[in-house]
Amino acid sequence: MTPSRPRPNIDEDNRPFWEAVQERRFVLMRCQECGRWYWPAAYCRHHRNAPFFGSLRWEPASGRGRVFVCNIHRRAFHPAFEVPYVFALIELEEGPMFGSNIIGCPVEDVRVGMPVEIAFTEVEDGVVLPLFRPSAPDPSGANVSTEGARA
Amino acid sequence: MAKALKNKFALVGLGLLAGRYPDRSMRALQTEAARLAIEDAGLSVAQVDGAVDLRLAPGSGDIPSSTDAFPRVLGMPCRMFFQISRGGAAGIMGIVAASKFLEMGAANYVVLACGTKDWSRSRSARASGVTSLNMIEKAGYWGKPFGDLTAVSHHSFFAGRHMYEYGTTAEQLGQIAVASRQWAALNPLAQFRDRPLDIEEYLDSPLVVDPYRLLDMCVVSDGAMAVVMTTAERAADLAKPPVYVMGAGVGEAMERLWWEKANYTRLAVETAKDVAFREADIEIDDVDFAGLYDCFTGEVLFQIEDYGWCGKGEGGPFVADGRIGPKGTLPINTSGGLLSAYHLGELTHLAEAVTQLRHEAGPRQVPDARIGLVSGHGGELLSPGMCSTHASLVLGRA
Repeated sequence: MTPSRPRPNIDEDNRPFWEAVQERRFVLMRCQECGRWYWPAAYCRHHRNAPFFGSLRWEPASGRGRVFVCNIHRRAFHPAFEVPYVFALIELEEGPMFGSNIIGCPVEDVRVGMPVEIAFTEVEDGVVLPLFRPSAPDPSGANVSTEGARA
Repeated sequence: MAKALKNKFALVGLGLLAGRYPDRSMRALQTEAARLAIEDAGLSVAQVDGAVDLRLAPGSGDIPSSTDAFPRVLGMPCRMFFQISRGGAAGIMGIVAASKFLEMGAANYVVLACGTKDWSRSRSARASGVTSLNMIEKAGYWGKPFGDLTAVSHHSFFAGRHMYEYGTTAEQLGQIAVASRQWAALNPLAQFRDRPLDIEEYLDSPLVVDPYRLLDMCVVSDGAMAVVMTTAERAADLAKPPVYVMGAGVGEAMERLWWEKANYTRLAVETAKDVAFREADIEIDDVDFAGLYDCFTGEVLFQIEDYGWCGKGEGGPFVADGRIGPKGTLPINTSGGLLSAYHLGELTHLAEAVTQLRHEAGPRQVPDARIGLVSGHGGELLSPGMCSTHASLVLGRA
Protein backbone atom coordinates (compact mmCIF):
# COMPACT_ATOMS: atom_id res chain seq x y z
CA MET A 1 0.00 0.00 0.00
CA THR A 2 1.32 3.45 -0.90
CA PRO A 3 1.68 5.61 2.19
CA SER A 4 -0.41 8.75 2.35
CA ARG A 5 1.18 12.09 1.68
CA PRO A 6 1.11 14.60 4.55
CA ARG A 7 -2.24 16.32 4.89
CA PRO A 8 -2.57 20.10 4.94
CA ASN A 9 -2.38 21.52 8.44
CA ILE A 10 -5.88 22.93 8.64
CA ASP A 11 -6.66 25.25 11.51
CA GLU A 12 -9.14 27.95 12.47
CA ASP A 13 -7.39 30.52 10.27
CA ASN A 14 -7.13 28.63 6.99
CA ARG A 15 -10.14 26.28 7.13
CA PRO A 16 -12.23 28.34 4.66
CA PHE A 17 -9.40 28.15 2.14
CA TRP A 18 -9.16 24.37 2.32
CA GLU A 19 -12.91 23.91 2.30
CA ALA A 20 -13.07 25.93 -0.92
CA VAL A 21 -10.24 23.86 -2.42
CA GLN A 22 -12.20 20.68 -1.80
CA GLU A 23 -14.96 22.32 -3.92
CA ARG A 24 -12.35 23.28 -6.52
CA ARG A 25 -12.60 26.96 -5.79
CA PHE A 26 -9.47 29.10 -5.27
CA VAL A 27 -10.01 31.82 -2.69
CA LEU A 28 -7.73 34.36 -1.07
CA MET A 29 -8.31 36.80 1.74
CA ARG A 30 -9.30 40.24 0.52
CA CYS A 31 -9.53 43.46 2.47
CA GLN A 32 -13.06 44.85 2.27
CA GLU A 33 -11.80 48.35 2.87
CA CYS A 34 -8.98 48.74 0.33
CA GLY A 35 -9.28 45.65 -1.88
CA ARG A 36 -5.79 44.27 -1.25
CA TRP A 37 -5.34 40.50 -1.33
CA TYR A 38 -3.61 38.32 1.23
CA TRP A 39 -2.33 34.79 1.54
CA PRO A 40 -1.97 33.22 4.05
CA ALA A 41 -4.51 34.76 6.40
CA ALA A 42 -3.43 38.19 7.56
CA TYR A 43 -4.68 41.46 8.89
CA CYS A 44 -4.57 44.22 6.29
CA ARG A 45 -1.37 46.16 6.85
CA HIS A 46 -2.54 49.40 5.25
CA HIS A 47 -5.02 50.71 7.83
CA ARG A 48 -6.77 49.91 11.11
CA ASN A 49 -8.43 46.51 11.27
CA ALA A 50 -11.74 45.36 12.70
CA PRO A 51 -11.32 42.71 15.46
CA PHE A 52 -9.64 39.49 14.37
CA PHE A 53 -9.84 39.23 10.56
CA GLY A 54 -12.99 41.35 10.50
CA SER A 55 -11.82 43.67 7.73
CA LEU A 56 -11.17 40.79 5.35
CA ARG A 57 -13.17 38.08 3.61
CA TRP A 58 -12.30 35.02 1.58
CA GLU A 59 -13.08 35.86 -2.05
CA PRO A 60 -12.67 34.00 -5.34
CA ALA A 61 -9.30 34.74 -6.95
CA SER A 62 -8.11 34.29 -10.52
CA GLY A 63 -5.98 31.22 -9.90
CA ARG A 64 -3.45 32.71 -12.32
CA GLY A 65 0.10 33.83 -11.78
CA ARG A 66 3.71 33.49 -12.82
CA VAL A 67 6.50 31.31 -11.53
CA PHE A 68 8.69 33.48 -9.29
CA VAL A 69 11.20 30.74 -8.52
CA CYS A 70 11.13 26.96 -8.76
CA ASN A 71 13.13 23.86 -8.00
CA ILE A 72 13.12 20.24 -9.06
CA HIS A 73 12.94 17.65 -6.30
CA ARG A 74 15.01 14.72 -7.52
CA ARG A 75 15.05 12.86 -4.25
CA ALA A 76 12.00 11.85 -2.25
CA PHE A 77 11.91 12.76 1.42
CA HIS A 78 8.66 10.91 1.95
CA PRO A 79 7.51 7.66 0.31
CA ALA A 80 4.23 9.17 -0.93
CA PHE A 81 6.02 11.49 -3.36
CA GLU A 82 7.18 10.42 -6.81
CA VAL A 83 10.23 12.24 -8.12
CA PRO A 84 10.97 14.32 -10.01
CA TYR A 85 8.49 17.03 -9.07
CA VAL A 86 8.57 20.80 -9.18
CA PHE A 87 7.90 22.92 -6.11
CA ALA A 88 7.51 26.57 -7.01
CA LEU A 89 6.67 29.95 -5.62
CA ILE A 90 3.98 31.46 -7.74
CA GLU A 91 3.41 35.19 -7.77
CA LEU A 92 -0.35 35.34 -8.10
CA GLU A 93 -2.01 37.98 -10.25
CA GLU A 94 -3.55 39.38 -7.08
CA GLY A 95 -0.09 39.86 -5.55
CA PRO A 96 0.53 37.21 -2.89
CA MET A 97 3.13 34.47 -3.28
CA PHE A 98 1.79 30.93 -3.23
CA GLY A 99 3.83 27.75 -2.89
CA SER A 100 2.67 24.78 -4.92
CA ASN A 101 3.64 22.15 -7.48
CA ILE A 102 3.74 22.77 -11.22
CA ILE A 103 2.29 19.82 -13.11
CA GLY A 104 1.31 19.17 -16.70
CA CYS A 105 4.69 19.65 -18.34
CA PRO A 106 8.17 18.10 -18.12
CA VAL A 107 9.92 19.31 -14.95
CA GLU A 108 12.78 20.81 -16.97
CA ASP A 109 10.32 23.06 -18.86
CA VAL A 110 9.28 25.07 -15.81
CA ARG A 111 10.91 28.50 -15.94
CA VAL A 112 10.94 31.68 -13.88
CA GLY A 113 8.32 33.99 -15.33
CA MET A 114 6.25 31.20 -16.85
CA PRO A 115 2.48 31.92 -16.70
CA VAL A 116 0.63 29.26 -14.72
CA GLU A 117 -2.93 28.60 -13.64
CA ILE A 118 -4.70 26.59 -10.99
CA ALA A 119 -5.11 22.87 -11.59
CA PHE A 120 -7.11 21.34 -8.78
CA THR A 121 -5.88 17.82 -8.47
CA GLU A 122 -7.16 14.88 -6.45
CA VAL A 123 -3.78 13.54 -5.35
CA GLU A 124 -5.28 10.77 -3.26
CA ASP A 125 -8.82 9.64 -2.75
CA GLY A 126 -10.72 12.58 -1.31
CA VAL A 127 -7.67 14.87 -1.11
CA VAL A 128 -7.81 17.78 -3.56
CA LEU A 129 -4.83 20.13 -3.70
CA PRO A 130 -4.42 23.50 -5.46
CA LEU A 131 -1.65 22.59 -7.90
CA PHE A 132 -0.67 24.72 -10.90
CA ARG A 133 0.07 24.00 -14.56
CA PRO A 134 1.32 26.06 -17.51
CA SER A 135 -1.37 28.45 -18.68
CA ALA A 136 -3.23 27.73 -21.87
CA PRO A 137 -2.14 30.04 -24.73
CA ASP A 138 -5.22 32.30 -24.56
CA PRO A 139 -4.07 35.01 -22.12
CA SER A 140 -7.64 35.84 -21.15
CA GLY A 141 -8.00 32.32 -19.82
CA ALA A 142 -11.57 32.29 -21.14
CA ASN A 143 -11.41 28.82 -22.61
CA VAL A 144 -9.41 27.26 -19.83
CA SER A 145 -11.05 24.72 -17.64
CA THR A 146 -10.12 24.76 -14.01
CA GLU A 147 -10.82 21.05 -13.75
CA GLY A 148 -7.46 19.49 -13.04
CA ALA A 149 -6.38 16.12 -14.28
CA ARG A 150 -5.83 13.39 -11.73
CA ALA A 151 -2.11 13.27 -10.99
CA MET B 1 24.54 56.62 22.69
CA ALA B 2 26.05 54.59 25.55
CA LYS B 3 27.21 51.18 24.54
CA ALA B 4 25.07 48.41 25.97
CA LEU B 5 27.40 45.52 25.29
CA LYS B 6 30.83 46.55 24.10
CA ASN B 7 33.43 44.58 26.03
CA LYS B 8 31.26 44.49 29.16
CA PHE B 9 30.74 40.74 28.97
CA ALA B 10 32.94 37.85 27.94
CA LEU B 11 32.82 34.21 26.99
CA VAL B 12 35.16 32.46 29.39
CA GLY B 13 34.50 28.73 28.99
CA LEU B 14 33.88 26.45 26.04
CA GLY B 15 32.57 22.89 25.96
CA LEU B 16 32.18 21.13 22.63
CA LEU B 17 31.04 17.63 21.66
CA ALA B 18 30.63 17.03 17.96
CA GLY B 19 30.11 13.91 15.93
CA ARG B 20 28.01 10.82 16.60
CA TYR B 21 26.57 9.92 19.98
CA PRO B 22 23.83 7.38 19.32
CA ASP B 23 23.95 6.09 22.91
CA ARG B 24 23.62 9.44 24.66
CA SER B 25 20.48 11.48 25.25
CA MET B 26 20.35 15.08 24.13
CA ARG B 27 20.02 16.05 27.79
CA ALA B 28 23.19 14.14 28.67
CA LEU B 29 25.08 15.72 25.77
CA GLN B 30 24.01 19.19 26.87
CA THR B 31 24.90 18.44 30.48
CA GLU B 32 28.33 17.13 29.54
CA ALA B 33 29.06 20.14 27.31
CA ALA B 34 28.05 22.44 30.18
CA ARG B 35 30.35 20.56 32.56
CA LEU B 36 33.23 20.86 30.09
CA ALA B 37 32.61 24.58 29.61
CA ILE B 38 32.55 25.27 33.34
CA GLU B 39 35.75 23.28 33.82
CA ASP B 40 37.39 25.05 30.87
CA ALA B 41 36.66 28.39 32.55
CA GLY B 42 38.33 27.21 35.74
CA LEU B 43 35.07 27.45 37.65
CA SER B 44 33.21 24.94 39.78
CA VAL B 45 29.63 23.95 39.06
CA ALA B 46 28.63 25.50 42.38
CA GLN B 47 29.73 28.95 41.14
CA VAL B 48 27.59 28.92 37.98
CA ASP B 49 24.20 30.27 38.98
CA GLY B 50 22.54 30.96 35.63
CA ALA B 51 21.70 28.74 32.67
CA VAL B 52 20.15 29.11 29.23
CA ASP B 53 18.85 26.19 27.19
CA LEU B 54 19.47 26.99 23.52
CA ARG B 55 16.93 25.25 21.31
CA LEU B 56 18.08 24.77 17.74
CA ALA B 57 14.98 23.10 16.36
CA PRO B 58 11.88 25.17 15.71
CA GLY B 59 8.37 24.04 16.42
CA SER B 60 7.06 21.36 18.65
CA GLY B 61 9.39 18.59 17.58
CA ASP B 62 10.29 15.65 19.70
CA ILE B 63 12.55 17.50 22.09
CA PRO B 64 11.43 17.62 25.70
CA SER B 65 10.82 21.20 26.73
CA SER B 66 9.70 21.17 30.32
CA THR B 67 10.18 17.73 31.76
CA ASP B 68 13.81 17.93 32.72
CA ALA B 69 16.77 20.13 32.00
CA PHE B 70 20.55 20.05 32.06
CA PRO B 71 21.07 22.37 35.08
CA ARG B 72 19.19 19.90 37.28
CA VAL B 73 21.21 16.99 35.91
CA LEU B 74 24.49 18.82 36.51
CA GLY B 75 23.42 19.94 39.97
CA MET B 76 23.78 23.64 39.24
CA PRO B 77 22.54 26.00 41.95
CA CYS B 78 20.63 28.01 39.35
CA ARG B 79 19.14 31.36 40.23
CA MET B 80 17.94 31.88 36.68
CA PHE B 81 17.13 29.50 33.81
CA PHE B 82 15.20 29.83 30.59
CA GLN B 83 14.92 28.35 27.12
CA ILE B 84 15.36 30.31 23.96
CA SER B 85 14.50 29.05 20.50
CA ARG B 86 15.21 30.85 17.29
CA GLY B 87 16.57 28.08 15.08
CA GLY B 88 20.16 28.82 14.13
CA ALA B 89 20.07 32.19 15.83
CA ALA B 90 19.26 30.95 19.35
CA GLY B 91 22.84 31.21 20.59
CA ILE B 92 23.32 34.87 19.71
CA MET B 93 19.91 35.77 21.06
CA GLY B 94 20.73 33.80 24.19
CA ILE B 95 23.97 35.75 24.65
CA VAL B 96 22.11 39.06 24.29
CA ALA B 97 19.51 37.97 26.83
CA ALA B 98 22.11 36.59 29.24
CA SER B 99 23.98 39.92 29.16
CA LYS B 100 20.96 41.63 30.63
CA PHE B 101 20.60 39.08 33.43
CA LEU B 102 24.30 39.47 34.24
CA GLU B 103 23.97 43.25 34.22
CA MET B 104 21.03 43.05 36.62
CA GLY B 105 23.00 40.81 38.94
CA ALA B 106 20.49 38.01 38.51
CA ALA B 107 23.46 35.68 38.02
CA ASN B 108 27.25 35.90 38.21
CA TYR B 109 28.06 33.24 35.66
CA VAL B 110 25.68 31.94 33.00
CA VAL B 111 26.19 28.74 31.05
CA LEU B 112 24.42 28.55 27.70
CA ALA B 113 24.13 25.10 26.16
CA CYS B 114 22.60 23.51 23.10
CA GLY B 115 22.35 19.87 22.14
CA THR B 116 21.22 17.94 19.13
CA LYS B 117 20.63 14.36 18.06
CA ASP B 118 20.02 15.12 14.41
CA TRP B 119 22.48 12.51 13.14
CA SER B 120 20.91 9.74 15.18
CA ARG B 121 17.43 10.89 14.23
CA SER B 122 18.39 10.92 10.55
CA ARG B 123 19.48 7.26 10.84
CA SER B 124 16.16 6.11 12.25
CA ALA B 125 14.20 8.35 9.90
CA ARG B 126 15.99 6.98 6.86
CA ALA B 127 14.70 3.51 7.61
CA SER B 128 11.11 4.78 7.43
CA GLY B 129 11.66 6.84 4.27
CA VAL B 130 10.24 9.89 6.06
CA THR B 131 12.90 12.44 6.84
CA SER B 132 13.70 15.96 7.87
CA LEU B 133 11.01 18.56 8.53
CA ASN B 134 8.39 15.87 8.43
CA MET B 135 9.38 15.37 12.02
CA ILE B 136 9.14 18.94 13.21
CA GLU B 137 6.55 21.72 13.00
CA LYS B 138 3.78 19.22 13.32
CA ALA B 139 1.25 22.01 13.14
CA GLY B 140 1.37 25.16 11.10
CA TYR B 141 3.85 24.19 8.44
CA TRP B 142 1.65 24.19 5.44
CA GLY B 143 3.85 23.18 2.48
CA LYS B 144 4.04 19.50 3.35
CA PRO B 145 1.25 18.23 1.07
CA PHE B 146 3.12 19.80 -1.86
CA GLY B 147 6.32 18.00 -0.99
CA ASP B 148 7.92 21.01 0.72
CA LEU B 149 9.36 18.57 3.21
CA THR B 150 12.85 19.70 4.06
CA ALA B 151 14.94 22.80 4.50
CA VAL B 152 16.37 22.24 1.02
CA SER B 153 12.83 22.11 -0.41
CA HIS B 154 12.52 25.87 0.00
CA HIS B 155 16.05 27.10 0.81
CA SER B 156 16.95 26.15 -2.76
CA PHE B 157 14.67 29.03 -3.79
CA PHE B 158 17.34 31.40 -2.51
CA ALA B 159 19.97 29.93 -4.83
CA GLY B 160 17.53 29.60 -7.72
CA ARG B 161 16.51 33.20 -7.55
CA HIS B 162 20.10 34.45 -7.15
CA MET B 163 21.08 32.44 -10.22
CA TYR B 164 18.16 33.91 -12.14
CA GLU B 165 18.83 37.52 -11.14
CA TYR B 166 22.62 37.61 -11.16
CA GLY B 167 23.76 34.68 -13.28
CA THR B 168 25.38 32.90 -10.35
CA THR B 169 26.59 29.44 -11.38
CA ALA B 170 26.74 26.03 -9.77
CA GLU B 171 30.50 26.14 -10.05
CA GLN B 172 30.60 29.36 -8.02
CA LEU B 173 28.46 27.83 -5.28
CA GLY B 174 30.74 24.82 -5.47
CA GLN B 175 33.74 26.99 -4.59
CA ILE B 176 32.11 27.61 -1.22
CA ALA B 177 31.70 23.87 -0.62
CA VAL B 178 35.31 23.27 -1.67
CA ALA B 179 36.68 26.01 0.60
CA SER B 180 34.72 24.65 3.57
CA ARG B 181 36.12 21.20 2.92
CA GLN B 182 39.66 22.57 2.76
CA TRP B 183 39.18 24.17 6.18
CA ALA B 184 37.61 20.96 7.51
CA ALA B 185 40.76 19.05 6.62
CA LEU B 186 42.51 21.17 9.28
CA ASN B 187 39.92 20.49 12.01
CA PRO B 188 40.17 17.21 13.95
CA LEU B 189 36.49 17.50 14.95
CA ALA B 190 35.18 17.91 11.40
CA GLN B 191 33.02 15.07 10.11
CA PHE B 192 34.55 15.46 6.63
CA ARG B 193 38.15 16.06 7.71
CA ASP B 194 39.35 13.05 5.71
CA ARG B 195 37.27 13.65 2.59
CA PRO B 196 38.98 16.11 0.25
CA LEU B 197 36.73 17.73 -2.32
CA ASP B 198 37.45 19.39 -5.63
CA ILE B 199 35.14 21.25 -7.95
CA GLU B 200 34.74 18.29 -10.33
CA GLU B 201 33.52 16.05 -7.53
CA TYR B 202 31.17 18.80 -6.40
CA LEU B 203 29.69 19.14 -9.89
CA ASP B 204 29.35 15.36 -10.11
CA SER B 205 27.44 15.12 -6.84
CA PRO B 206 23.76 14.33 -7.34
CA LEU B 207 21.13 17.05 -7.63
CA VAL B 208 18.90 16.64 -4.60
CA VAL B 209 16.60 19.61 -5.03
CA ASP B 210 17.80 21.25 -8.23
CA PRO B 211 19.64 23.71 -8.23
CA TYR B 212 21.11 22.29 -5.01
CA ARG B 213 23.37 19.27 -5.13
CA LEU B 214 24.15 16.99 -2.23
CA LEU B 215 27.36 18.93 -1.61
CA ASP B 216 25.54 22.26 -1.30
CA MET B 217 23.90 20.93 1.84
CA CYS B 218 25.15 20.92 5.42
CA VAL B 219 25.93 17.87 7.50
CA VAL B 220 23.81 16.59 10.37
CA SER B 221 25.41 15.86 13.71
CA ASP B 222 24.96 14.66 17.22
CA GLY B 223 26.57 16.85 19.79
CA ALA B 224 26.40 19.75 22.14
CA MET B 225 28.10 23.05 22.72
CA ALA B 226 28.21 25.21 25.80
CA VAL B 227 29.78 28.53 26.71
CA VAL B 228 30.13 30.22 30.06
CA MET B 229 29.49 33.95 30.03
CA THR B 230 30.20 36.49 32.72
CA THR B 231 31.01 40.15 33.25
CA ALA B 232 34.33 41.56 32.05
CA GLU B 233 35.43 42.14 35.65
CA ARG B 234 34.87 38.51 36.64
CA ALA B 235 36.34 37.28 33.36
CA ALA B 236 39.72 38.77 34.15
CA ASP B 237 40.49 36.18 36.86
CA LEU B 238 39.63 32.99 35.02
CA ALA B 239 41.61 30.22 33.36
CA LYS B 240 41.41 31.26 29.70
CA PRO B 241 41.84 34.59 27.92
CA PRO B 242 38.41 36.23 27.82
CA VAL B 243 36.61 36.49 24.50
CA TYR B 244 34.73 39.77 24.70
CA VAL B 245 31.28 40.42 23.32
CA MET B 246 31.94 43.55 21.27
CA GLY B 247 28.53 43.85 19.67
CA ALA B 248 25.41 41.96 18.68
CA GLY B 249 22.40 42.66 16.53
CA VAL B 250 19.43 40.96 14.96
CA GLY B 251 17.47 41.52 11.79
CA GLU B 252 14.20 40.13 10.53
CA ALA B 253 13.15 39.35 6.98
CA MET B 254 9.76 40.56 8.21
CA GLU B 255 11.19 44.06 8.15
CA ARG B 256 10.82 43.80 4.40
CA LEU B 257 7.88 41.42 4.80
CA TRP B 258 8.49 37.88 3.87
CA TRP B 259 6.65 37.86 0.58
CA GLU B 260 8.61 40.75 -0.84
CA LYS B 261 10.90 39.79 -3.65
CA ALA B 262 14.09 41.26 -2.21
CA ASN B 263 14.01 38.59 0.47
CA TYR B 264 14.95 35.87 -1.99
CA THR B 265 18.39 37.24 -2.82
CA ARG B 266 19.42 38.62 0.57
CA LEU B 267 19.22 37.72 4.23
CA ALA B 268 18.14 40.13 6.96
CA VAL B 269 21.73 41.21 7.52
CA GLU B 270 21.41 44.97 7.19
CA THR B 271 19.82 45.80 10.54
CA ALA B 272 21.70 43.07 12.40
CA LYS B 273 25.02 44.27 11.07
CA ASP B 274 24.29 47.96 11.64
CA VAL B 275 23.48 47.43 15.30
CA ALA B 276 26.30 44.94 15.97
CA PHE B 277 29.00 46.89 14.14
CA ARG B 278 27.95 50.23 15.63
CA GLU B 279 28.07 48.71 19.09
CA ALA B 280 31.50 47.22 18.37
CA ASP B 281 32.80 50.36 16.62
CA ILE B 282 34.07 48.39 13.64
CA GLU B 283 33.85 48.33 9.87
CA ILE B 284 33.73 45.23 7.73
CA ASP B 285 37.47 45.41 6.99
CA ASP B 286 38.21 45.16 10.73
CA VAL B 287 36.85 41.59 10.77
CA ASP B 288 39.75 39.12 10.79
CA PHE B 289 37.61 36.02 10.21
CA ALA B 290 33.93 35.13 10.03
CA GLY B 291 31.69 32.18 10.74
CA LEU B 292 28.75 32.72 8.40
CA TYR B 293 25.73 30.50 8.85
CA ASP B 294 26.02 27.88 6.13
CA CYS B 295 23.09 25.51 6.13
CA PHE B 296 23.56 25.69 2.34
CA THR B 297 26.21 27.20 0.10
CA GLY B 298 23.85 29.96 -1.05
CA GLU B 299 23.53 31.49 2.42
CA VAL B 300 27.29 32.04 2.52
CA LEU B 301 27.23 33.76 -0.86
CA PHE B 302 24.36 36.01 0.21
CA GLN B 303 26.08 37.03 3.43
CA ILE B 304 29.38 37.84 1.70
CA GLU B 305 27.35 40.33 -0.33
CA ASP B 306 25.05 41.46 2.47
CA TYR B 307 27.90 42.22 4.88
CA GLY B 308 29.56 44.26 2.17
CA TRP B 309 32.69 42.32 1.25
CA CYS B 310 31.36 42.75 -2.30
CA GLY B 311 28.30 44.18 -3.99
CA LYS B 312 24.93 42.44 -4.37
CA GLY B 313 25.16 39.93 -7.17
CA GLU B 314 28.97 39.90 -7.15
CA GLY B 315 29.38 37.03 -4.69
CA GLY B 316 29.84 34.35 -7.33
CA PRO B 317 32.95 35.84 -8.94
CA PHE B 318 34.16 36.96 -5.48
CA VAL B 319 34.44 33.40 -4.12
CA ALA B 320 35.59 31.85 -7.40
CA ASP B 321 39.32 32.23 -6.84
CA GLY B 322 39.56 30.40 -3.51
CA ARG B 323 39.44 33.68 -1.63
CA ILE B 324 37.58 32.27 1.39
CA GLY B 325 39.64 29.08 1.72
CA PRO B 326 42.77 28.42 3.79
CA LYS B 327 45.00 29.90 1.07
CA GLY B 328 42.76 32.90 0.46
CA THR B 329 42.66 36.38 1.92
CA LEU B 330 39.25 36.27 3.65
CA PRO B 331 39.02 33.37 6.14
CA ILE B 332 35.37 32.27 6.27
CA ASN B 333 34.06 29.24 8.14
CA THR B 334 37.49 28.13 9.29
CA SER B 335 36.12 25.11 11.19
CA GLY B 336 34.69 23.68 7.98
CA GLY B 337 31.34 25.03 9.09
CA LEU B 338 27.98 23.35 8.88
CA LEU B 339 28.85 22.27 5.34
CA SER B 340 31.84 20.12 6.26
CA ALA B 341 32.49 20.09 10.02
CA TYR B 342 29.46 19.64 12.28
CA HIS B 343 26.01 21.16 12.68
CA LEU B 344 25.18 22.77 15.99
CA GLY B 345 23.45 25.74 14.42
CA GLU B 346 25.45 28.93 14.76
CA LEU B 347 27.09 27.42 17.85
CA THR B 348 29.37 25.65 15.34
CA HIS B 349 30.69 29.07 14.38
CA LEU B 350 30.61 30.42 17.92
CA ALA B 351 32.79 27.55 19.15
CA GLU B 352 35.23 28.20 16.31
CA ALA B 353 35.32 31.95 16.99
CA VAL B 354 36.18 31.36 20.65
CA THR B 355 38.89 28.91 19.60
CA GLN B 356 40.34 31.31 17.01
CA LEU B 357 40.31 34.29 19.39
CA ARG B 358 42.11 32.22 22.03
CA HIS B 359 44.66 31.39 19.33
CA GLU B 360 44.05 27.69 19.95
CA ALA B 361 43.04 26.72 16.39
CA GLY B 362 46.26 24.90 15.51
CA PRO B 363 46.90 24.44 11.79
CA ARG B 364 43.83 26.48 10.84
CA GLN B 365 44.64 29.40 13.13
CA VAL B 366 44.05 32.77 11.49
CA PRO B 367 47.29 34.66 12.28
CA ASP B 368 46.85 37.26 15.03
CA ALA B 369 43.04 36.94 14.95
CA ARG B 370 41.60 39.75 17.04
CA ILE B 371 38.05 40.31 15.81
CA GLY B 372 35.66 37.59 14.67
CA LEU B 373 32.15 37.74 13.27
CA VAL B 374 29.57 35.00 13.90
CA SER B 375 26.19 34.95 12.18
CA GLY B 376 22.99 33.08 12.90
CA HIS B 377 20.06 32.27 10.66
CA GLY B 378 16.74 30.82 11.71
CA GLY B 379 13.21 31.38 12.77
CA GLU B 380 9.87 30.81 11.15
CA LEU B 381 9.57 28.33 8.38
CA LEU B 382 6.86 30.00 6.43
CA SER B 383 6.00 28.60 3.10
CA PRO B 384 7.26 30.27 0.98
CA GLY B 385 10.08 29.02 3.16
CA MET B 386 11.98 31.67 4.93
CA CYS B 387 14.28 31.64 7.86
CA SER B 388 13.39 35.14 8.88
CA THR B 389 15.98 35.94 11.54
CA HIS B 390 19.54 36.98 10.99
CA ALA B 391 21.80 37.53 13.99
CA SER B 392 25.26 39.09 14.10
CA LEU B 393 27.78 38.72 16.90
CA VAL B 394 31.13 40.48 16.99
CA LEU B 395 33.70 38.94 19.33
CA GLY B 396 37.17 40.15 20.17
CA ARG B 397 40.22 39.46 22.29
CA ALA B 398 42.04 42.02 24.38
